[in-house]
Amino acid sequence: MSPVVQTFKLSKWYGNILGLSEVSLDVHPGITGLLGPNGAGKSTLMKLLTGQLKPSLGRVLVAGERIWNNPALFRRIGYCPEHDSFYEDTTGRQFLAGLLRLHGCCAAEAARLTESALKLVELWGDKNRLIRGYSRGMRQRLKIAQALAHDPEILILDEPLNGLDPLGKRKIIRLVKEFKAENKTVLVSSHVLPEVEALTRDIILMHQGKILAAGDIHDIRDLIDTHPHVVALRCSRPRKLAARLIEEPHVLKVHLGPDGLLTLETDNRDLLFGRLPALVLELDLDIEEITSPDDNLQAVFDYLVGK
Amino acid sequence: MRAASRAAVFFFDLGRRAKRTKFFFALGLVPVLLSLLLRLRHVLSVSPRGFSGDFFYSNVILPFYVQFLLLMLALFFGTSVILEEVEGRTLAYLLTRPLSRAAVVLGKFAAYAGLGLMVMNIGLLASFLILKIEGAADPEVWVTLARDAAVLDLSLLCYLSLFTFLGTLVKRAVFFGLLFCFGWENVIAYFPGLTQKLAIAHYVKSLIPQPPGQAFSFLRLMLEPSPPLVAVLILLGLTAVFLAAAGLVFSAKEYLSPD
Repeated sequence: MSPVVQTFKLSKWYGNILGLSEVSLDVHPGITGLLGPNGAGKSTLMKLLTGQLKPSLGRVLVAGERIWNNPALFRRIGYCPEHDSFYEDTTGRQFLAGLLRLHGCCAAEAARLTESALKLVELWGDKNRLIRGYSRGMRQRLKIAQALAHDPEILILDEPLNGLDPLGKRKIIRLVKEFKAENKTVLVSSHVLPEVEALTRDIILMHQGKILAAGDIHDIRDLIDTHPHVVALRCSRPRKLAARLIEEPHVLKVHLGPDGLLTLETDNRDLLFGRLPALVLELDLDIEEITSPDDNLQAVFDYLVGK
Repeated sequence: MRAASRAAVFFFDLGRRAKRTKFFFALGLVPVLLSLLLRLRHVLSVSPRGFSGDFFYSNVILPFYVQFLLLMLALFFGTSVILEEVEGRTLAYLLTRPLSRAAVVLGKFAAYAGLGLMVMNIGLLASFLILKIEGAADPEVWVTLARDAAVLDLSLLCYLSLFTFLGTLVKRAVFFGLLFCFGWENVIAYFPGLTQKLAIAHYVKSLIPQPPGQAFSFLRLMLEPSPPLVAVLILLGLTAVFLAAAGLVFSAKEYLSPD
């Protein structure tokens, strides 16, 4: 199957600042997650893919055509921007209908599509409220509605789950998966690994304007798993637990802080979390808190780039 | 053109809700209020003398439009055609529609021109009627109104296109626009000979007849007017050139959001 979106050695500079460096990628139908910490170049890439920015070097092809100054292509593309910006003095319905009119829809068609998109994101009940009165979650859903309203073939979503509560996130994830089921193409960016994991297995990892890895998320997970994980624990009698944990072969390091916080490094987090309940019962401990200080994307990237 | 007209309808609808439009509608009513006060003063006067509506219209109301309101409308509407989309970070919604960039500029220009013309013409018509109602039976009075409105409308389009172009080109367009309106345009108008023809105001003032009184005659100080047809053609030509330039710049340039 030929790729829907292609970039060839795509680079972008903002003056002396490098936004994107020689990015070559192919995006096929289905959902592709674009994952990277803030400042990785995800939004720059998305803006280049939607013709908002002009490449400094390289090429972008969407559906086989160049995107810069090619407005006809936008009949086939839906884009959800990252910024929480709207024409605040319009209602949700006016906003959506107005944008659909820009697509060339007649008034009746715009009204029909507006109704269907607002119902899809569960905003129909608030259609006549001014956008400035919408909650963060409603605004996020409205952005997604304007990207979906004209039934595009390609959906480009820049951090679509930002600001949504867990229920809102689940709804959007379900919506995107339904969209993909129609054999359409979705490119979705996020800096939160579990969010992307919930959407797709096919991911592109970006860091400092470059593609660090691309492919199945489990392969990348395996790569990440070759590095030790840090787990922090707060419990009653931490010395006793520390003494037992150091005997475990998968625990590499144990540190007991002056505040009683037990920090340990393991090369097999799943095994550790499997053993922990048994140890807690055996030693009759009260666990107050378990956290993974390095279980965030920046830490993952630090591992991958060898920091 | 169809794309530009779709954009014009969209932006007219957005523009009429904007606080800026409401402010300018209120400002456009200032000359109406002044005219009403003058009329009331005359009506309520114990020993009313001849009403000086004609003098007041030519020497206060018309200069207010030419020297101030017209420029303010053009400056604030024109510079915001693109800049408000960039600063409000709403440009992405427009650039990801099947609409050429030139159509976005033209459509928004048309929408804001419509709003500006409404603000100006409603105020002008109301002031004119209040001050010159006695002469309403004379067709010449209506010809005067039509001429003044046409000159103001043409001037608004010319300045608006200039500031639309400026807004596509630089970030601090309002600052440079103010310098142009109240610096260049005012200073250059007092230069003799060909130099004064480098100001748009020269062609606007060339189309306005000499006020009957001597007060406020600074409006035409040192003016060596161009023939009316030449002035009209130059104003139309400048409008077309500035609009084409705005469309070209917007099509070629990238706009980065404030952060």
